[in-house]
Amino acid sequence: MLNNYQLLIKTRFVGFLLALFIVSVSSSFAQSITVKGKVVSEDDNEPVPGALVSVKGTQSGTVTDIDGGFTIQASVGETLVVSFIGFTTNEVVVTQNSTDILVTLKYSTSDLSEVVVVGYGSQIKKELTGAIQSVSEKELKDLPVSSVAQKLQGRLAGVQINQTTGKPGQGMNVRIRGQLSVSGGSSPLYVVDGFPITGDINALNPDEIQEITVLKDAASTSLYGSRAANGVVLITTKKGVAGQTNVNLNVFTGWQTVPENGRLEMLNAEEFAQFKKEYYTDAGQPVPEIFQNPADYRNNDNDWYGAMLETAPVTSYNLTVTSNKEKVNTAVIAGFFDQKGVVRNTDYQRYSLRLNTDYAVSEKVNMGINVAPSYVYDNTPQTDGSRGTGILFNALHTWPVMPIYEENGELTSFNRFPANTGNIFAYPNWLRSADEITNETKVINVLANTYFEWKPIKGLSLKTTFNTELNNSNYFFFNPSTATNQINVAIPTVARSVRDEYQNLSWLNENIATYGNSIGDHNFQMLLGFSNQKFRQDRTRIAADTYADDRLPTIQGAININRGGTISDVNEWALTSIFSRLTYNFKGKYLFTASVRGDGSSRFGEDNRWGIFPSTSLGWVLSDEGFLNTSSTVSFTKLRASYGVTGNNNIGNYTQYALVNNTINAAFGNTVFPGAAVTSLSNRNLGWETTTQFDIGLDLGLWEDRITFVYDYYTKNTTNLLYAVQVPQESGFTNFNDNIGEIKFWGHEFSVTSVNTTGAFRWTTNANISFNRNEVLELADGIDRVYGDYHITKVGEPFGQFYGLKKLGNYANEEDLANSPKVPGRSTVGSIKLADINGDGVITNGGDNDDRTIIGNPFPDFTYGIINNFAYKNWDASITASGSQGNQLYMRHLYSTANLDGVFNMVAKVADRFRSPENPGEGIFGTTVGGGNVTGIERDWANSNFVYDASYFTIRNITVGYTFKNLPKTFKSARIYGSAQNVWVFTDYWGGSNPEVSMQNNGNGDGGNLSPGVDLAGYPVPRTITFGVNVTF
Amino acid sequence: MKKYILAFLVSTIALTGCDDFLTVVPETQLSSATFFKNQTDFEQAVNAAYVPLRTITNDRSWLLSEMHSDNTYYARNVLFGATDNQEDLADFSVPESNGTTANTHVLNQWRQDYLIISRTNQILSLIDDVDFDAAAKANVKGQALFLRAYAYFELVRYFGSVPLHLTPVATREEAALPLATEAEIYTQIEQDLVAAVPLLPKKANQEPGRATEGAARTLLANVYIHQKKWSAAEQILSPVLTHGYQLMPSYEMAFPGNTSNKNNMESVFEVQFIEGAAGLNGNFIYQFMPRPISAAELQPIMGTSNPQNIDGEGNNIPTPDIIAAYEAGDLRKEASIGNVFLAGSFRDDKNYPYIKKHAKHHSQHNNTGTNWVIYRYAEVLLFMAEALNEQGKPGEAAPYLNDVRERAGLLPTTATSQAEMREAIFKERRVELAFENKRWFDIVRTDRIEEIIVPYGQRIIANPLDYYYPPIAGAVPRSNAFTNIKKFYAYPAAESDLSPYF
Repeated sequence: MLNNYQLLIKTRFVGFLLALFIVSVSSSFAQSITVKGKVVSEDDNEPVPGALVSVKGTQSGTVTDIDGGFTIQASVGETLVVSFIGFTTNEVVVTQNSTDILVTLKYSTSDLSEVVVVGYGSQIKKELTGAIQSVSEKELKDLPVSSVAQKLQGRLAGVQINQTTGKPGQGMNVRIRGQLSVSGGSSPLYVVDGFPITGDINALNPDEIQEITVLKDAASTSLYGSRAANGVVLITTKKGVAGQTNVNLNVFTGWQTVPENGRLEMLNAEEFAQFKKEYYTDAGQPVPEIFQNPADYRNNDNDWYGAMLETAPVTSYNLTVTSNKEKVNTAVIAGFFDQKGVVRNTDYQRYSLRLNTDYAVSEKVNMGINVAPSYVYDNTPQTDGSRGTGILFNALHTWPVMPIYEENGELTSFNRFPANTGNIFAYPNWLRSADEITNETKVINVLANTYFEWKPIKGLSLKTTFNTELNNSNYFFFNPSTATNQINVAIPTVARSVRDEYQNLSWLNENIATYGNSIGDHNFQMLLGFSNQKFRQDRTRIAADTYADDRLPTIQGAININRGGTISDVNEWALTSIFSRLTYNFKGKYLFTASVRGDGSSRFGEDNRWGIFPSTSLGWVLSDEGFLNTSSTVSFTKLRASYGVTGNNNIGNYTQYALVNNTINAAFGNTVFPGAAVTSLSNRNLGWETTTQFDIGLDLGLWEDRITFVYDYYTKNTTNLLYAVQVPQESGFTNFNDNIGEIKFWGHEFSVTSVNTTGAFRWTTNANISFNRNEVLELADGIDRVYGDYHITKVGEPFGQFYGLKKLGNYANEEDLANSPKVPGRSTVGSIKLADINGDGVITNGGDNDDRTIIGNPFPDFTYGIINNFAYKNWDASITASGSQGNQLYMRHLYSTANLDGVFNMVAKVADRFRSPENPGEGIFGTTVGGGNVTGIERDWANSNFVYDASYFTIRNITVGYTFKNLPKTFKSARIYGSAQNVWVFTDYWGGSNPEVSMQNNGNGDGGNLSPGVDLAGYPVPRTITFGVNVTF
Repeated sequence: MKKYILAFLVSTIALTGCDDFLTVVPETQLSSATFFKNQTDFEQAVNAAYVPLRTITNDRSWLLSEMHSDNTYYARNVLFGATDNQEDLADFSVPESNGTTANTHVLNQWRQDYLIISRTNQILSLIDDVDFDAAAKANVKGQALFLRAYAYFELVRYFGSVPLHLTPVATREEAALPLATEAEIYTQIEQDLVAAVPLLPKKANQEPGRATEGAARTLLANVYIHQKKWSAAEQILSPVLTHGYQLMPSYEMAFPGNTSNKNNMESVFEVQFIEGAAGLNGNFIYQFMPRPISAAELQPIMGTSNPQNIDGEGNNIPTPDIIAAYEAGDLRKEASIGNVFLAGSFRDDKNYPYIKKHAKHHSQHNNTGTNWVIYRYAEVLLFMAEALNEQGKPGEAAPYLNDVRERAGLLPTTATSQAEMREAIFKERRVELAFENKRWFDIVRTDRIEEIIVPYGQRIIANPLDYYYPPIAGAVPRSNAFTNIKKFYAYPAAESDLSPYF
């Protein structure tokens, strides 16, 4: 688990606030002595700063200082209670001699008394009734990654986090409990210090985070109403430690590489020439001269993909200054993160600053302000995307016989071989594309939160907050005449530029009243709130081309302004909400929570403007019952159940309106005339997607909570899915935006925490496993299926299944061909043999009644994570691993990388293709004879030859650290560590190095919600090795 | 405590404001609630109704009605796949199941025609409720009626009976309608055009490129002729002879250039294109080039400053049949068909014919401003000749036919009987209107599908080398070629999947 130092500060700041509060209301007693003392940890005699020392039965208390020391007034005979989170509470009776006492605290293995941040408040973990999991900053440190989501991979049951691309700062796909939507967003709602943000969570410096809480079930999330259906992630940033001023410097540096292991194996130059030679020979055509002697290429290979990659440095600096003294609690965190990418010319930098300040004006009034500006610079080549646009894909399938370098060592600029070699696509030099094309984004993000809180009487708090988020993103693309990211575009190209600027402003005002009290054994808390939030986005995009000079990519330097690519646009939404919650427990044993939120949204149709989202949950701490309290094995048992309704309002801002497009221009003579037409149908009833969720859970603690076990079963139904229902285009429209259908989700989540050894060698294990399932119960009237790219979403089946023809093999010989269903006019001996699913004797592709069928599932049977922490004396180590079992990928790049016409370079496996009935190969790839008419079936028709298992087990991280002791007085602590990220991927998937890849929602044309799990050979995820030092003054 | 809660509630409600906060209308887009309010709105709306014609003529019509005849074929390029959608049209092998087909060109033709229909329905249903200048209103209405009729005429000729939408669709339920009979469709087309004729200005008074009275009359005449309503055709067409239209001095000049000679005195109705980056350009002549063609081979034909190599498979290549159809001395042959040498071809002589009459010099690769002619005066003359001849007046028909022949450098026709004259007009239409997407409809309306297409298919299968197949093993017509020879296309599968009616 955690070493000594970690434990000392393994404390929720909320606990300190509590401590501070108690101190502030303490009063002194006249007839008492001054007790002085020191609190140390029993295991290693290290001081425990920040521990709460109070006089039992009174309001008197204090907090230990940095050396564990305290001073308190108490009467002889009274009892001092000394407590600190992470330790078992100890009690000491005050005697006349209690002027210099030593109090020892024992490590506690239980964290049930910790306070966890929940929606609009916090709760003691023991009293939680919802499915909530929290992760503290301490568990996330040392991971050399740029984003919060990367740090969470493998840690949370029921939360699948995939890194779909290795682009720095991008591509993290977070899905809570398998949530899906046909066309709305499925990412969780991120709430930073109470403010639901609209921007990118990747802009947040992970070092600013104190704690992350993930709310999974409807009871925990329903206070977020129409934005809660995808789950909610609460992020709390750092505050000062009570009574202390700390200055912490954390620096790491290292390098990233793409391991050879796992890369897609392509033909090398000699193998490629051999393929081409065989291709022409098999077709009875003359072999072009350049392919007659493949061995000539033996020492002249051009690994285009490999040449795109390089070893890249990564560096991070974080300076944190916290101070919590008198009435002011301040935290300042300054960060600089600098990452080069493993693909040439990738640059990613983040400068961030956060200032959190709370000021206790008086005993009744608190106020605070958080300001967090950040600046992110990102220049990444256009690596990802389909053939022709993603330069990594382009490099992958460029002929390895084409030279990367001239004889003088310079990069070649353009490669084209004579037409009789089958080189129908010409290639620029992709290294130049990466080097010379500018594709940069600069983002300025400023989060600012302020609050004012008034506590007029005991238990009542009135709080008003005002939050703003300003996000300005500037995209600049410039393609000089010397480069292109496309195939078949001759150099020089037409130089072109794109400038795209987004200015987003969101503000939120919340007004919340809470009242909590205890009457006897009845404890209750009530919350009532109102809020208004508004978002506005202004966008300006200017596209220009035909530059006179590549050195001046200004707008005025362009000869043409590209009208079609020039846009100015405004997007707005507004949300008004009222929400309330009642939390009640009896003796901390019978727990009850009910909440409701009403959301009025500008996105909803005029006739359907308000949505109501209620929930309720119950908990029963069985282990507090007398009749179960006798077991020495079972130390804690709680049963939980919850039910609630949440919504998803990611349905677009103006989806309800019938919009007129006024750029459908006409030509008459040589003059342009403006044209306008209604291009969508209106729906005044359009609303949110509704998710109704039931959750039942069991929390178990064994052997004084040395082993804790959490199990949850959930079932949820999402209805009213936003979907652009296709309508026949005889109407003049393509679709009607409506709320349709029903998807059922259900799943099991288990997590276990175990303290395996205690004492000098401490070893703890956290493990989790999740099973998520879904089934489409209903789509729109008269529609039982929706197609994706190579996918179908069909009633009675899980969402987004791979859909295509089923490959049976290749036609073995004339007899097989004659006796089997085939594609009329196209199938030949050795070509792909497909199953005649509809039994009509021929193979057809297209329409609802063809031979396509479900050929695979992109969703895993289960996902799991396991984390081991070790500590021995000054040393600590952790190993984080996670995996996914049973998911498949659609190896879409094969449409090029297994194009048997030899127009591209191909995967190495094509060498073993069908050559003749006597030499049928391993059966994956068919004959090349007959050209596109024959090979096109295999490549252009979605079929099971594209689908492969992509189960994986990844060692995400290994960290080893050493903490120095007996430091000079100026240092409070010092630690050095080494960390390796993405250490090893165990998988049978052969289509590329990243089995987590998915083109979903990447905006590159492929993908979309209905088309998950598509591999287009994107930016590889690097292995990162770093070394760091962490010093506190 | 109550008073605190009360104070809190009051202050919050004050902050919350009213429902206006939640009414957020699109700032940078118009919606149907704010549009169709004045003359400009309707003029813009009718402009947009012309727009699908660009796609139709640039990308579809020649596939569905010229390459789907004995005039043109594709030039097989074995290096290139994914060509079956085009090949199926040329090979009369469009796959069909339950009366539907997945052919993308058939689908897109359908969708673009209905896009015209929906845009014109939108105009026609609202225009009478808005007050503006009567002449301007008549003009907009006339154009809308013309365009709707044109779209239905395409649909009825391609598909027979189709859904008849006459009012804008507002709900999901209204999106699909039952099939109307061919007769019902024709009745509506005629009704629209009869109404359009008096509303539309003559060419001299109309903005060049928009529908005119002459265009409406010619279209209606074509509609009548397609239905063999000969006297009605003569009646509606004869005023056009006095509208001031004339044959251009030479055949070459009848076809508009990249920027000049557009909407010339022979032009009755043409689809307008403008070269440039505004998205109003065409590129049909590029689609008509045999491939792979190099930049150097392309440059003399296109005259651009930045020619580039083009791969893929060339379409709409003139067949040996059409080349042989020109009489000796016909000036139109040289003007219509050119020859190009492709070094990258697998054919022995590497020579291919291409459609020259549409190839006009322009400046940027793959971006042309050449208009596509739908009706021109030469066809008006041939319609007159045909309408008269079919009414038993071959003598009256001859002068119209001879006007067309004379410009082509040919002697007057020798036909005298009605049957001879019918044959002469049919032949004349083939060469005069070659590559103008008339051939398939001429074959259909004269009931000569069996007579012409079947032997044409046999010739291709027997002599693939004559039809531009390369001399490579396996590069022969596909086994399903010429197995689905029918008057109408099957309904597009993607539309059928969404409609309960077909």
